Amino acid sequence: MLTVERISKVFGEAESGYSALKDISLGIRDGEFLCLLGPSGCGKTTLLNIMAGFDAATFGRAALHGRTISAPNRERMMFFQDAGSALFPWQTVEQNVRCGLKLQKVRGSEQDRRVDYYLGMVGLAQHRDKYPSQLSGGMRQRLQIARALAVEPQILLMDEPFAALDALTRRKMHAFLLDIWQRTKKTVVFVTHDISESILMADRIAVMTSGPNARIQDIIEVDLARPRDPAIPMFGELYGRVEALLDQETALMSQEA
Amino acid sequence: MVVVSGSSLSPTAAPGSGETVWARLKRSKRVRLLRAPTLVVVSLIIFFGSWQILSYYLLNPYLIPPPSRVFATAIPMIRSGEFFRDIGISLLRVLIGFSLGSLAAIVVGVIMGRIRLINELLDPIIEVLRYLSPTAMIPIAVIWFGIGEQSKYFLIFWGTFFFVLINTVAGVIRTPVARQRAAQCLGANQLEIFLIVIIPSAIPYIITGMRVAMASSFMSIIPAEMLAAQSGLGHLLQVSGMLAQTDRIFVALAAISLLGFATDRLFRWLVHRTLNRYMAFVSVS
Repeated sequence: MLTVERISKVFGEAESGYSALKDISLGIRDGEFLCLLGPSGCGKTTLLNIMAGFDAATFGRAALHGRTISAPNRERMMFFQDAGSALFPWQTVEQNVRCGLKLQKVRGSEQDRRVDYYLGMVGLAQHRDKYPSQLSGGMRQRLQIARALAVEPQILLMDEPFAALDALTRRKMHAFLLDIWQRTKKTVVFVTHDISESILMADRIAVMTSGPNARIQDIIEVDLARPRDPAIPMFGELYGRVEALLDQETALMSQEA
Repeated sequence: MVVVSGSSLSPTAAPGSGETVWARLKRSKRVRLLRAPTLVVVSLIIFFGSWQILSYYLLNPYLIPPPSRVFATAIPMIRSGEFFRDIGISLLRVLIGFSLGSLAAIVVGVIMGRIRLINELLDPIIEVLRYLSPTAMIPIAVIWFGIGEQSKYFLIFWGTFFFVLINTVAGVIRTPVARQRAAQCLGANQLEIFLIVIIPSAIPYIITGMRVAMASSFMSIIPAEMLAAQSGLGHLLQVSGMLAQTDRIFVALAAISLLGFATDRLFRWLVHRTLNRYMAFVSVS
């Protein structure tokens, strides 16, 4: 269980700085697919960075199974939107996947097994000797996924990973990620600003307000059977509910302004 | 239109396509492969041809010696060994200064890139000193080191150092944060991140800096050798100038051009052979 306990984050001085997050609490169940949904600049990435251990909360804490998160660890693997930046362009597909295993001091034969297994899972086995520059955008994201899964984390933290892909590739990646998630049973925390994407993928959607002082407005349960069909009425209802929440917040903000 | 059977090297026209012999020829693989080298040769022929004609018939062959005379002047210089000796000396001075300058710049640059305090302390001085060209430093270099080899090494070192330094710092600082963080998640400690993420990411910037620094070094060595040396291509240039021997001047100019060109090509080839996989810039997917 990954818990977010009354987290506030202020950049700069305590009084005069920018308060990105205000008193956020959240409990993420093991094996759950949770979306953090909100407009750009609302602090979703900040919250994700705290969960990953790159940043510390100013108040409150994030914890995994009760242990405070204070540093990055392979248990909580972060994904980045720009796969080209996150991957190692001077290494082949295989070497990229192997890199994490070497750092974790995994034994040679086990390294080989995992490299083969995860490259196979993401469908890049026949491209193992290629370099990232020779892959398409979708393939690079798949490579990032393989590299991350190879060290067998518990939690996948994904920061709008498909936002930079074209719409058709993104659809394929949705199906692909859901398949991987169901096979590996990891916990996924997925940041997005796309309402449809969140309803398509998530068990629960944490709808956030925009910054400053961002907080979680509401957590919506998505009780639809998988695979999910955007055409069914329930999907549209949920979309409307989420949209209403976001609009409500926008109206409140313009009232205050 | 003539229909002739052929291979991909000389393709056939589809019957009734109305394709001319010329268009079919442009399609052929042999023509495509030979296009670039042929154009280079043609360009050189036009250049030297015009030069020869202009000097011989239109302009003063003393002011602008034709290529034939330049070549004829070069032959005894090559035979006596003085030509290659001068080239060798200039080249050696550049290589030594360049290697030392690059090495020092990479070490300092990496440290500056990683340790913010050192960057903030050194940057103001560097920002000012970088405007001192090697030529500007000739007088003080002669006073410090005399007119022997050391002053030349120093001058080339000086020019190379600032350029490669600035590029190195940029390369280190520009290592994508995502890459460093990904490495952290995968289990790398600070030293490992430095060695396996930051340094490789900086290599393209460093190499680009080195390549330009080398070109600049060939330009810097000439004034140094003109003013403060007794050997080398710059010296040859200066002596020929004093004696108004335009043909020998042109020999020296040609040598400088070819030397710079050849070294650059060699450098690029070496980089391609050894560091090619580091040179890929992969940004937004």
